[in-house]
Amino acid sequence: MRNESLFERLQDRPFARVLVNCAVTVLSVLLCSIILPTRLPGMEIAGIGPNWLLIWVVVWSVKRSMFQGALAGLALGLIQDGMTAYTPTHVISLMLVGILTARLRKERYLREDFISVALIAFAMAVIAETVMAIQYSIQGDRSLVEIWTYHQLIALGSAVLSSLWAPVIYFPLNRWWQQMSLLEQQS
Amino acid sequence: MFTLRRWWDRHRLQIILTSLALGSAAFLRQTEGAVLYEAYRLVTFPFQPNLERKAALENAQVQELQQRLTELESQNQQLRSIVGYVSETKKSQITAPVVGRSADHWWQHLILGRGTQGGVQPGSIVMAPGGVVGRVISATPNTSRVLLLSDPSSRVGATVSRSRNMGYVRGQTSNRAVMEFFDKLPDVRQGDVITTSSLSKLFPAGLPIGRVQSVNLNKSPAPEAIIELSTPISFLEWAVVYPHKPAVQFKLSPSGQAIEKSAESVPAQSDQIEPQL
Repeated sequence: MRNESLFERLQDRPFARVLVNCAVTVLSVLLCSIILPTRLPGMEIAGIGPNWLLIWVVVWSVKRSMFQGALAGLALGLIQDGMTAYTPTHVISLMLVGILTARLRKERYLREDFISVALIAFAMAVIAETVMAIQYSIQGDRSLVEIWTYHQLIALGSAVLSSLWAPVIYFPLNRWWQQMSLLEQQS
Repeated sequence: MFTLRRWWDRHRLQIILTSLALGSAAFLRQTEGAVLYEAYRLVTFPFQPNLERKAALENAQVQELQQRLTELESQNQQLRSIVGYVSETKKSQITAPVVGRSADHWWQHLILGRGTQGGVQPGSIVMAPGGVVGRVISATPNTSRVLLLSDPSSRVGATVSRSRNMGYVRGQTSNRAVMEFFDKLPDVRQGDVITTSSLSKLFPAGLPIGRVQSVNLNKSPAPEAIIELSTPISFLEWAVVYPHKPAVQFKLSPSGQAIEKSAESVPAQSDQIEPQL
């Protein structure tokens, strides 16, 4: 109804379409960054919450090229760096996540549904935290034992929670992007 | 006789059981059910922390300590006035709600709901019920980010308040921290109170940090103690921010002499405890 009229109106105006599409995408990123410091009850295990920016990168990269995935990882990595600290950087881990997710889809190992997105988010969260742990190890201001025992805890916690919450972001965003690409093909 | 025998054979079990039951009931009645209460206590003991008594005792203890503290503070004030010590002005305090946590899992941060508009500046000290929790590392107009003592990158100069042995406290992500001593054989025991030391550049001296949980004197390169932080950092809802000027920076001049940038003078050892961010 109102939604359809919005889509119809956007069909004739490619410029407005791009604008609205960007706005929605940016808003979703902002939303993800804003929930990042919260630890809502039911959303945390031992003080560890879902990694919302990682979920966003996964959702973005699932149907895009490796380059686009890497770009999204770069942008969101920078945002997360700003929200925490510059060293060690989150850029590397999120870029890797973007690239790997985009690459995974091409091979068509998994069917396209929310369970596969949850699985990908799980694996990517583990990879991202491992990259962070490696960076800490290279940096060398903490003892290796400390880093890797803590890594076990957060890799598992963040992976479980990220995979559980991934569909929440995946469904609306994926649907929106599908509609947008449909409109693009029609015009 | 024969009928009696038959009757007994038929009802023997019932009679024995009934008499046993009645007998034990009578026994319990005579002893006022002591066995039952003992058994009840034994079964429910793990689930009963006896809270009321504990709370009452703790309250009494807190009151006693507070009274002793006021007494000591007033004595201290008098002694200072005799010595001619210039007393520091009472610092203003800013109460701020805890609105968030770190934006990733590797850092131990708090996000406070007051910022530069409320008077919070980077370097301010953040306290909570129980002692010091950390310091402000960045502030926006209405929020500020606190690096907690439990963060592994946070290093705070600390002292054992009983024996005045110095060291520094390094976070361990949980509610524990590790204190490394400067001395080879520090006088430290389980239960000792750890406070910020006067050598710390970032914190004012004498703020409580926590208690010693265990000591490992054989640790190389320096003896270590595990500190239990006295603040329940994981469920803080409010914190109090005290403005503090940490800015004593040492810079090496070309001749190798340490030059202080700030007017305040602080012993040069405190460079060892500079936190790395």
